[in-house]
Amino acid sequence: MAKILIPTPLRQFAGKQDSVDLTGSTVGEVLTSLTTQFPDLRKQIFNDEGKLRSFVNVYLNDEDIRYLKKDATPVASTDTLSIVPSIAGGAVGVAEPPAALSNDEILRYSRHLIMPEVGMDGQLKLKNAKVLMVGAGGLGAPLGMYLAAAGVGRIGIVDFDVVDFTNLQRQVIHGTKDVGKKKLDSAAETMLDINPYVKIDKHETALTSANALDIIAGYDMVVDGTDNFPTRYLVNDACVILKKPNVYGSIFRFEGQATVFAYPGGPCYRCLYPEPPPPGLVPSCAEGGVLGILPGIIGLVQATEAVKLILGTGEPLVGRLMLYDALAMRFRELKLRRNPECPVCGDHPTVTKLIDYDQFCGIPRKEPVAVSTASETEIDPLAVKSMQDRGEKFQLVDVREPHEYQICSIPGAVLIPLGDLPKRVNELDPDVEIVAHCKMGGRSAKACDLLRQAGFRRVKNMTGGILAWSDKVDPRVPKY
Amino acid sequence: MIKITDEAWKVMVAHAEGKFPNECCGAMIGRIADDSKNVTAAVPMENAYAGEQGARYELRPEDLLQADRSARAAGLDLIGIFHSHPDCDAYFSKTDLENSCPWYSFVVLSVKGGRFDHAASFLPNADQTVAEKEELIWPKS
Repeated sequence: MAKILIPTPLRQFAGKQDSVDLTGSTVGEVLTSLTTQFPDLRKQIFNDEGKLRSFVNVYLNDEDIRYLKKDATPVASTDTLSIVPSIAGGAVGVAEPPAALSNDEILRYSRHLIMPEVGMDGQLKLKNAKVLMVGAGGLGAPLGMYLAAAGVGRIGIVDFDVVDFTNLQRQVIHGTKDVGKKKLDSAAETMLDINPYVKIDKHETALTSANALDIIAGYDMVVDGTDNFPTRYLVNDACVILKKPNVYGSIFRFEGQATVFAYPGGPCYRCLYPEPPPPGLVPSCAEGGVLGILPGIIGLVQATEAVKLILGTGEPLVGRLMLYDALAMRFRELKLRRNPECPVCGDHPTVTKLIDYDQFCGIPRKEPVAVSTASETEIDPLAVKSMQDRGEKFQLVDVREPHEYQICSIPGAVLIPLGDLPKRVNELDPDVEIVAHCKMGGRSAKACDLLRQAGFRRVKNMTGGILAWSDKVDPRVPKY
Repeated sequence: MIKITDEAWKVMVAHAEGKFPNECCGAMIGRIADDSKNVTAAVPMENAYAGEQGARYELRPEDLLQADRSARAAGLDLIGIFHSHPDCDAYFSKTDLENSCPWYSFVVLSVKGGRFDHAASFLPNADQTVAEKEELIWPKS
């Protein structure tokens, strides 16, 4: 038993009453008794398939039932149900959706069209769909190629990077001839070669709190192929705010994960990871490496989910985190739940607009640093080289791993991997200045902190690591 | 026919001009008698559209729920929705039609250069494929 409030214009179909008391123990049952008692109301509220019409929201007291248990939400006699329409609009008309496929397109998509689960309706849904890919790197490469091949009508790409040789081991959308080209151009060229019937929007920018809402608002969903925490939280929060599904994937070394966040009623990234890890704790793929094939697997799980969401078919990967282990060749699944206390998608959200995600993730603002000036704690590779040339006495410590040392090393450097440093500090002379380096400068910064805590006074971090050494001092040192 | 009182109209125009160059939105409350709708109060609402608001608006269903409750408490009815078209005529766009609902009157206020210009009211059909123009009477100054 519950009371349902009838909106003014619908009262003519409900015996002119402004509210009706009805039997039923769930929302679904109450709505069924309403439309049984007043059959004329049925087509106002439900579509031909018996589902609530797209603009109809049902509230149990103050809560949208979509965020409770939908039709199965229990009702008590003290509860009040309200029917509230979703209303939006704007002066600008949207483009007329294409009503049919051309004969060339019918031929191209014939393997889709002959499956009733896709068919002509499904293929038109794909053609009218707008998907935003964040990143045209490891995950973006297979995603972009397959989404284009599948006939997703409009694909936006956000990227501001340039193709380099280290990308080619996994980013199969780019080729050797593309090195030095913008990833946006290289990716778009490959995608249009696969399928000239798709439209590609190039967003040559980093996604930021200032532009994310405007960029994402133009699409139906986002496929997140980013490799850093600030952008991941940014994409998540923007998708929750804009109510757009976020098809998430991430990869590291031999393992990957994928799920769909910000789907109505489902969890978001912050429900899974309320807080970012401390900066530097989780190595990036550039630091930790990644099996080149891995993003292919995870990117295509994301592409599959995107296509399923567009078609509205199958069981979306919502509330389930899929984990993949390439070495064991095993897929596992963890259950995820929306956290009612979540600051973004919870019942009482505290984050309702985009924030400063670098700050949130503890990443200091990049200040312009004067080149070649050695500060108290940092030293430029050129300065290290001149210390060597002048024959100054100092200890150059390489804190990378032995297999990295095998790829390249700086003459005169002693290899003490970061993990071994605490038990090997006694190999270092506290009276002689120490310069630490790694691949890019992250691990060696940690090594410097560690050494200072261990009582070493004169410790400097070589900025930019061995990659900067290769750029500035000795180009014969290979970059990896 | 939909008729808007002086008091409600002032609120609607002030909201539309105040939000220029963005679109504004809100609800209209009053009484329905036979074929005539009499709007006695307007409730300005926040445009909840998360992107660029120059040519888009979105109403929060929670705000509408609240307006409906207040109307009921005062013995009045929620009659319609209003929104503005900045530097654009008061027509019912395809975006307006597709994101409307067939139950209410939709009043569009054209605001040009920050000043109210003209207005029109529309009634979307059951399938939201066409909107019929409805006679709108507002206090002419």
